[in-house]
Amino acid sequence: MERNEFVRRLFARAGEAGEGIASEVCYESGSSFEVSVKDGEILQYSVSDSTGLGFRVLRNGRTGTASTQILDEEAVAQLVDGALENAALVESEDEQFMFPGSPEYPKLALFSPAVEAMTAAEKIGMAKRLEQLALRQDPRIQQVEECAVFSSSDARTMTNTLGLNVSTEVNLLGGYVVVVAREGEKVNTGFKVFFTSDPAQVDLEAVAKAAAKEAIDGLDGAPVPSGRYRVLLRNDVAGNLLATFAGIFSADNAQRGLSRLKGREGERIAAECVTLMDDPHRAGSASSTPFDGEGVATRVKAVIEGGRLNTLLHNLKTARKQGVETTANAARESYASGVGVAPTNFYFAPSDTGFDDMLEQTGDGLLITDLQGMHAGANPITGDFSLAAKGFRIEGGRLTAPVNQITVAGNYYELLADIEAVGGDLDFRSPGTSCFGSPSLLVKGLSVAGA
Amino acid sequence: MMTKSTAEQVLREALRTGGDFAEIFCEDRSSGAMGLVDGRVEAANTVRRHGAGIRIYRGLNSVYVHTNDTSLAGLTAAARKAADAVEGERCVGDIHLTRQLQRNLHQIRELPMDVAGSRMAKLLRDCDLAAKAVSPEISQVRASLSHWDSEVLIANSEGLFTGDRRVYTRLFVNAVASRDGDSQSGHEAPGAMMGYELFSGRVDPGEAARSAATKAVTMLHADPCPAGVMPVVIDGGFGGVIFHEACGHSLEAAAVAFGNSEFAGKLGTQIASPIVTAVDDGTLANEWGSLNIDDEGIPTTRLVLIEDGVLRNYMVDQLNGRRMGLPSTGSGRRQDYTFAPTSRMRNTFIAPGEDDEAEIIASCPDGLYARSMGGGSVNPVTGEFNFAVEEGYLIRNGRIDAPVRGASLIGRGSEILRKIDRVGSKMWMAQGMCGAASGSIPTNVGQPMIRVTDITVGGR
Repeated sequence: MERNEFVRRLFARAGEAGEGIASEVCYESGSSFEVSVKDGEILQYSVSDSTGLGFRVLRNGRTGTASTQILDEEAVAQLVDGALENAALVESEDEQFMFPGSPEYPKLALFSPAVEAMTAAEKIGMAKRLEQLALRQDPRIQQVEECAVFSSSDARTMTNTLGLNVSTEVNLLGGYVVVVAREGEKVNTGFKVFFTSDPAQVDLEAVAKAAAKEAIDGLDGAPVPSGRYRVLLRNDVAGNLLATFAGIFSADNAQRGLSRLKGREGERIAAECVTLMDDPHRAGSASSTPFDGEGVATRVKAVIEGGRLNTLLHNLKTARKQGVETTANAARESYASGVGVAPTNFYFAPSDTGFDDMLEQTGDGLLITDLQGMHAGANPITGDFSLAAKGFRIEGGRLTAPVNQITVAGNYYELLADIEAVGGDLDFRSPGTSCFGSPSLLVKGLSVAGA
Repeated sequence: MMTKSTAEQVLREALRTGGDFAEIFCEDRSSGAMGLVDGRVEAANTVRRHGAGIRIYRGLNSVYVHTNDTSLAGLTAAARKAADAVEGERCVGDIHLTRQLQRNLHQIRELPMDVAGSRMAKLLRDCDLAAKAVSPEISQVRASLSHWDSEVLIANSEGLFTGDRRVYTRLFVNAVASRDGDSQSGHEAPGAMMGYELFSGRVDPGEAARSAATKAVTMLHADPCPAGVMPVVIDGGFGGVIFHEACGHSLEAAAVAFGNSEFAGKLGTQIASPIVTAVDDGTLANEWGSLNIDDEGIPTTRLVLIEDGVLRNYMVDQLNGRRMGLPSTGSGRRQDYTFAPTSRMRNTFIAPGEDDEAEIIASCPDGLYARSMGGGSVNPVTGEFNFAVEEGYLIRNGRIDAPVRGASLIGRGSEILRKIDRVGSKMWMAQGMCGAASGSIPTNVGQPMIRVTDITVGGR
């Protein structure tokens, strides 16, 4: 069935089910491309087209959702009846909402014609070049474990019976390389990924070099004695930790008692040098969007400013519960998901301090370049973490011996207060529903388990 | 769903440009989830996914295309797109498919999609009450039910045309205990490849809820785990995650075929302590990681990975099997039609040994007892792994002593395997979702109680 016709039928059937039912459709269509190479040949080549439609109803302040990937007669009944049944099962007393639309939406250029114009052959060529460059970096790089280039393009449209009608389209180009360094019995891997909306800015040499450097530098890694160390978290590692603990800034979690930031708005919760931004309008990010998962126009905001907590992140439900305005952080991971709360482009604002100055400020301690085990070794409620780590010793303000087979433990709430300095090297992780970023962060002290 | 003649036409189109093997994986999946927070249903969701993936090999290279449109026209267009990425001349003659019926190892009785929402809501409310009854310190309970029913059809250019139906049901309970601004959580997530009859005898929802709550309360009263290198006793069930992470991933053909595994080239050699035997078994009735056929249409198998410490088998899918010159072991798996399959684990466990559990603790030098494990991850190239201890206790003077929180274990798979000096006699399994190149799939981990002579324990 044609999409507009399908939506018309959904709205009509839901309308017939009773008085006072509002309904909403979130339609997504996308295409993706990925090519991986090995020894100069295509190892795997994947392309896809996908479409999906999520249906949400609101009845008596309760919402229910159902979704499908087929738009046929049977699906009309499945969606409407399923969503209504799901709404009827909801017992939570928190009132839920549907949004009629904002007066104005920001105009964002999130769809790059240059990415769209790239041919499959160009992307295959990029992947092959990246592999060659990686192998050329050092004789100890004897193998490229994975090397791929990908692109994707996604469009989302939301319409509802209250008048909402918004759409957005994003695309991106990216790639990654994993290299293996070997020297005698020693082996180590290095990984680097890139994302962009501007193919002209891709520096494959730099990507290959970063991956190779990571693999080679870590070859001689050894544990350090257990104890408490001053720690410099490299930008990517600090971004990964932020991603792991971003849930503490959700008003939804706070209202459920799952974040210690509940009721702390206006208070000092971090060191004065810390400013944390949520920027849904950041250029070139696939996590940017003019409207959130409920159709509310998005805006840029400082969540922490000078160490002070300005606001938590809200959707319509959590904002109403707390008597504030939504921050337009309603999140729907996909058309098939319900509405939650999540940041967009979420990052610590950088200073103008260079990396060498950060090392100098650290004096004696550890630079952490890799943390593993976030999904298990981190407790997002208490903020406690204990994670496998790699990095380097810092002695007299200079990097010395590589370190591995250690764990770094601490508490994220305490870490925020213990940040002594913020670097200037802001870098972002891979974009998804949210995209996390950070410069390098100097932390007063963390527990290390090693030899 | 796709007919035999549609499949034949689409496979012909796929091999137009020189592919030597083509496959269609067609899937229709309905799933449902219901979540309860603090005694009230907060959300219910139903999802229908439908689509097909077409794969072509040319030698050791592969092309994968997926689409939501499974009509003859949609599949043909996808096959054409896949074929366009292959350069060559047709090398496979006519394609004739023969329908194959599969043995059914897994009886399904009550389809969860048909179970009334109110019945599920009651089960979740009972979990909430059971957890809260454990202690007044239980401050929040989240319980959810998820289930899915997936019908798959698999056709390939070697004449295979077969199908399977997979039904899964799983309960998840997370309890938070709080005191003076501090909180700790515990969870249980029992599931099986079966319908709603899961809760008639196999899984007691109240018991799962009490166990999650007890863990949370125990950890709330625990001190931070001391850091250092020490002997560690890891209990059975989810403790098997150590083998899954530290060794299982490195025995998957996807890692071995390219030499990206510390166990590559080690078949027939001693890689573990001689008291260790490990198995990957996809045939166990209704187990979470079981199947009738894998996602390449090959009947699933029981595979001895390590026998008395000697490496016997890798887990092999078709494409990596070509690379290694080994037959498939029925280990090709994928999350759904949007992923090309690769070699993955099923129900993977260390087999029961001969040691007495009480003696394992009594003879243990001072160290750590990991009663239940959280998740973990591994770098298959280096074998470096890490995982979290959800519920841990110190061992002092041969006894289980005070509980400790925040412990994590790190090490290298090949080293840990050699350092196992006790294997208990009672084995059980627990459920997990394993994420890798072909997506997130249900797998069981398992083991009896084991003891490792020394592991680096992270703590504060």
